[in-house]
Amino acid sequence: MTVPLRRLRPSLARYGLTAAMALILVVLVAAPLATILIQTLQSGGGAWADVLASRLSQNLFWRPATNTMIIGLAVAGGCVLLGGFLAWLVVMTDVPGRPLIAFMATLPFMIPSFATALAWGSVFRNGRVGGAGGLLEGLGFSVPDWLSWGMVPTIVVLIAHYYALAFTVIAAALSTVNGDLVEAAQMTGASRKRILFGIVLPVVTPAVIAGGSLAFAGAVSNFAAPALLGLPVRMQTLSTRLFGMIEIGQTERGYVLAILLIAISAIFLGIGNRILNSRRSFATISGKGARPRRFTLGTMRLPLALLAWTVCILTTLLPILLLLAASLAPSSLSLFSDWTLHYWIGAADPAFARGQPGIFHHPQLISALTTTLMLGAGVVFAANALGLLIAVALTRQKVPVLSNAVSQLSFLPMLLPGIAFAAAYIALYGAPIGPLPALYGTKLLLGLALTAAMLPFAVQTGRATVAQISGDIDEAARMTGAGFFHRLWAITLPLAARGLAAGLLISFVNVIGDLAITVLLYTPTSPLLAVLSYSYASDGFHQFANAVTLVILVISMLATCAATLLRGRRRQTFA
Amino acid sequence: MLKMLAPFCALALATSAYAQDLDSKSVADLLPLAKKEAKVTVYAFTSRIGRVEEAFEAAYPGIDMVAFDMSSTEQIARIKSEAAAGVAGADVIYISDAPVVLTELASQNLVTRYVPPRMESLVPEQFKSPLLAQRLSTKVLMYNEEAYPDGSPVKNLWDLTKPEWKGRVIMVDPLQRGDYLDLMTEIVLKSDDMAKAYEAAFGKPIALGEGIDNAGEQFITDLFANDLVLVGSTDDVNKAIGAKGQKNPPIGFTSYSDRRDNEDEGWALQVANDIEPSNGIVFPAFLALNATAANPAAARLAIDFMMGDDSNTGGDGFKPFYVAGDWPTRTDLAQHPDAIPLSDFKSWQIDAAETAKIRANVADFVLALQ
Repeated sequence: MTVPLRRLRPSLARYGLTAAMALILVVLVAAPLATILIQTLQSGGGAWADVLASRLSQNLFWRPATNTMIIGLAVAGGCVLLGGFLAWLVVMTDVPGRPLIAFMATLPFMIPSFATALAWGSVFRNGRVGGAGGLLEGLGFSVPDWLSWGMVPTIVVLIAHYYALAFTVIAAALSTVNGDLVEAAQMTGASRKRILFGIVLPVVTPAVIAGGSLAFAGAVSNFAAPALLGLPVRMQTLSTRLFGMIEIGQTERGYVLAILLIAISAIFLGIGNRILNSRRSFATISGKGARPRRFTLGTMRLPLALLAWTVCILTTLLPILLLLAASLAPSSLSLFSDWTLHYWIGAADPAFARGQPGIFHHPQLISALTTTLMLGAGVVFAANALGLLIAVALTRQKVPVLSNAVSQLSFLPMLLPGIAFAAAYIALYGAPIGPLPALYGTKLLLGLALTAAMLPFAVQTGRATVAQISGDIDEAARMTGAGFFHRLWAITLPLAARGLAAGLLISFVNVIGDLAITVLLYTPTSPLLAVLSYSYASDGFHQFANAVTLVILVISMLATCAATLLRGRRRQTFA
Repeated sequence: MLKMLAPFCALALATSAYAQDLDSKSVADLLPLAKKEAKVTVYAFTSRIGRVEEAFEAAYPGIDMVAFDMSSTEQIARIKSEAAAGVAGADVIYISDAPVVLTELASQNLVTRYVPPRMESLVPEQFKSPLLAQRLSTKVLMYNEEAYPDGSPVKNLWDLTKPEWKGRVIMVDPLQRGDYLDLMTEIVLKSDDMAKAYEAAFGKPIALGEGIDNAGEQFITDLFANDLVLVGSTDDVNKAIGAKGQKNPPIGFTSYSDRRDNEDEGWALQVANDIEPSNGIVFPAFLALNATAANPAAARLAIDFMMGDDSNTGGDGFKPFYVAGDWPTRTDLAQHPDAIPLSDFKSWQIDAAETAKIRANVADFVLALQ
């Protein structure tokens, strides 16, 4: 027995983890996607012809695809610049109010993008869709259509929503920059610019690419912003198109669009991956070294602080304030008058709000709250454990083809619109497979789908961190006979903790706010908060929907606070 | 093991003989059977189901109504998946989106017809088959009555294609919401009426453009060419048209019943009824059974309850649906005091079967325009 095992061990050590991860990804990601693909082919592939080569394809695919790519690239660029700038300010400089900036810069991602779009509208909207104009029109300016609707506002709103992703990932990476290097450079008289481009930027390249990729993938699959801001000037993206196709019952065309969206994005993201993989080592954490000294900003200190604060307030406080006002104001047209707490705590009154009692009287609020939290926690740990293992497999074991497949598969869920993803899960796991019972309507199915959906976040953040951990320590440990899991537990985990915390946070916030997937998969007996909010909204009870959204937001903020505190304590123990 | 067997038992119970027997039972005969089942699950496309649930449980203590509020599109996706998985999710289906429901669910027997015996004589034939319709809703032309106190500024649908309404007609993207696609489809189906209305509006017979087959398609083309504004939800339309204090508000298609929110929201929505050839569409909301319902007796009892009691407003079961702008299909209920009676309402009633036939083609036609 021992002989074959021993013979097996080297190859197991070389490929085992990657192979195991590949297997899990096939179950979680590839199989459901293949199910959709087969469905689009079953009826003779007519839907493919419609989308790609018919009189309709121009409007059905090509134009929306072009818009989608422009938005994706612009948002990725914008997010990296804005998120990177704030991360640099917070981690590397002496700008005043750093902790608060750091906290606020993580919030926009938790605010639903429709609220950010709403915030844009409340300032910039013009008379094109009637109703009341925005703040600027109220002041007597005439706002042109391009600033009110379409590409520009969609891009700006999505940057304001997703830059938090880039910030979180880049900040985590920046805080691992070896202080000795920076100090050495400073002592030898290198300019600030030189240090930034010579030391800091190369070190955070993986994080920049990871952050940009997340922002890109989020932007191309976002629905709310282009639907709210693009439709009035008839700008369609792949996500609005495919949502519409599913909504009007042309599911196959919707799936084809989903597959194409995945394919196109995969090409763009593949380029990012290639850059990340081709550069062998980004190792910067060597287990020693001082924390970086902060740059003194000098005369630029106040202007830069002002800039950072403006960004934070515009992208966090303003949307939150509007959301809050919208949960208190009876009329969505005058958000700041006649406020009432009825939508929160009011008892049913037939004369008001069509007899709907406040959300705290909703019989399912508490169960929705607990289910949301439990599911959120479970999914987050599962996804991030997998994410870390995948990240380790990708960095430590370079297996031809298989590594690439793992990398691509783990990113795919990000590109798949939730509703299509949920449909794929139902199609595959809804019915019994051999001896396995049907998972339809179980929390397990929802948990699996959400875990898969969160993998891209978990893997990206895991990779950005693990990529920086020097192989030296790992090798040293291996030579002293430490086993794989022991090394993972004793070396990788502690060193990667900060990056992991970021990953945990992003995916937790994403899980509890997710609607697209849960809306099809939630177990009817215990809805989730996001589903509750959605069903209020779909009946025109916007104040109630906004109130529930705020509850979700508060949970997200508490989680962020907790994570920040944990991180702070860890930093102290290391210092 | 028992859990896995349950769906099959339900399937066996729902064999046609038993089902037919239940179909003819009166409420009094259904009640003891329903009490034994003790539970009924409802998928509904409106949150008003929450109030139905309360009323039902008060009327029939001991039978637990479990209600889920989800859009028709989600229901359709769910029902199909459940059928594929062999799970009976809901007993009762309360759903709109007639063209899809009839062609993709009813035709496959995923949902089945049930007409409570009490309703046989109260509901006209057209609303009893192929599925029982409980009430009728609308997507019709509405305007701002504050800006136009003398009535609708538009008298003919073709007016919307004239220069004075350029960029000021608003509706939900018909490729995002099924009921707006149904509206476009109905306009194409009623091309003869549209051609006549064209003559009334422009004083000359209609000339069709290249690649356009009928007056309906010509209207849709001209409407889009007149810088039609599309938005994502009915609520956006209501806000745009209805907001008070506008000098030059747009006009557009939305639900007549949303007028009930005028006071709460500060809107001035009013329906434009006197329109050539029609102001829009009226469509049904169906009440149907799941073919493999786990609680067949309670399901029938619930449908009976939601059709309303014998009072002239339908009582507690119908109360959430007794609103101005929605009409019961029952002929014996009193007219809502604030609403135009259905007989005076100048809308097309959609024929779901006819709509289903060309709906996809109309969707393609609209797609080619934008």
